Amino acid sequence: MLSISELEKSYPNKKVLNGVNLHIQKGEILGFVGGNGAGKTTTLNIITGILDCDKGAVSINGLTNKSGLEYKKQFFYIPDTIHVFNNVPGYDWILFLMSLFNIEDNEKLDEYIKVFDMEDSIKKSMGTYSYGMLHKMSLIAAFTINPPIIIMDEPINGLDPSAVVSFKEEIKKYVERGGTIFFSTHLLDVAEKICDTIAILKDGKIILHDKVKNIIGDSSLESIFMEAQIYERDTQPY
Amino acid sequence: MNQFTVLVKKELIQLVREIKLVWFPLVFIFLGITQPVVSYYMPSILEMLGGGQGISIDPSMMAQSGGEVLASTLGSQFDQLGVMIIVISLMGIVQSDKASGMLAFILTRPVKVGSYLSGKVFSHYVFIAFSVAVGYIVSYIYTQFLFTGIPLEDLSIALLLYLLWVLFIVSFTTMISTIFNSQGVIALLSIAILLGCRVIVGLNPFLDTINPASMSTYGMELLVGGVLNSNVFWSILITLILSALAINISNTWISRKKYRID
Repeated sequence: MLSISELEKSYPNKKVLNGVNLHIQKGEILGFVGGNGAGKTTTLNIITGILDCDKGAVSINGLTNKSGLEYKKQFFYIPDTIHVFNNVPGYDWILFLMSLFNIEDNEKLDEYIKVFDMEDSIKKSMGTYSYGMLHKMSLIAAFTINPPIIIMDEPINGLDPSAVVSFKEEIKKYVERGGTIFFSTHLLDVAEKICDTIAILKDGKIILHDKVKNIIGDSSLESIFMEAQIYERDTQPY
Repeated sequence: MNQFTVLVKKELIQLVREIKLVWFPLVFIFLGITQPVVSYYMPSILEMLGGGQGISIDPSMMAQSGGEVLASTLGSQFDQLGVMIIVISLMGIVQSDKASGMLAFILTRPVKVGSYLSGKVFSHYVFIAFSVAVGYIVSYIYTQFLFTGIPLEDLSIALLLYLLWVLFIVSFTTMISTIFNSQGVIALLSIAILLGCRVIVGLNPFLDTINPASMSTYGMELLVGGVLNSNVFWSILITLILSALAINISNTWISRKKYRID
């Protein structure tokens, strides 16, 4: 599905990624966990084509990021900061994103608007939206477009409790339909509950990658993460 | 709908929501009206202001023809204030998307850089050309009413030539907006270079042929003398090539990911 091999990236004063390897299977929910500055967003930026890597390769369903539009149709990216035109209604913005993917399923869109409880605000200008509402709007767009993989950077930030519940339910349904989820998060308890697998990134390298149950055992992801931050482990492919 | 249509529609919706669709043509209508009205009433204004202090109009001075007045609309109002207003309205065309992160956001969707840029240039050009044309037609109506008529053929060809100069202004400003990050620098550079192009027209025949600003002068010459410059074909070709080159440079610049990421 999504394959990242030997990814390296440096900024002028710092090497951010130092040989990242990651393989995500179809139907998997992978939580990408790491401390601040570990390289999570840089990895996501390279996967989504915002940045070029110095070395390595990324592919989704066998298509590399040099494959142009076909590659970009494989995923829907929800960044941490969602950029919108303030004076455009959320509904029009979602229709615009759908049209870029050649999706015209308005019934499905209306359905997800109800699921995320956005009926009253979806036709208002996005400038009036809170951070959480912008995230809900992006999730509505992602589930309506239904791409092979949804890539998210801190997707739960700003969501109210009922939206978090809807989010969990919808990603399960999406995965059952054959979708794949790759998201970065700081919220370890959420990652532990939602994800099938976890990859921990530290200093530009994956130091742990395995199924959640194999990683945590009788412990918790939080304690494993704290331990991993201190004692670097070898990557354990499952 | 294909990508290009979707992106053009998005830009047009933005123009409507920013009320630009209203104020921008109004500015060009105002500029268009100013020249014939001021030219017509200038003798009366001077007479009223001058009076006993000696400012007067030479009664033997020839009255201006309609073509001369409309040419002055292009050369004075549109080529000076008009160019500045176009540049200021376009300085953020790509820069604001870069600064807000919108460019990176859109380019992570199934969108080609070429579609993004051509959608922007096309929609803004059509809109600005429409505004300029409306201002020009209103200016013509006043000119015909207050002065003399102008042959329809000359009127149309002069407008088309001027709109080619506008095409270069739009594509050039888009290029500068793509390369630089400060709106002040973008506005200053674009205005300085474009007005510089306009100022050097007439200095050298070869420079005139390769200078897109000559399109405006060719239009003015046609309105005043009814004669089309013999170099006009080459100038049209070069203006189109330079406009395409400016868009191509913008395309290359963005494709090499030389945009800011927040």
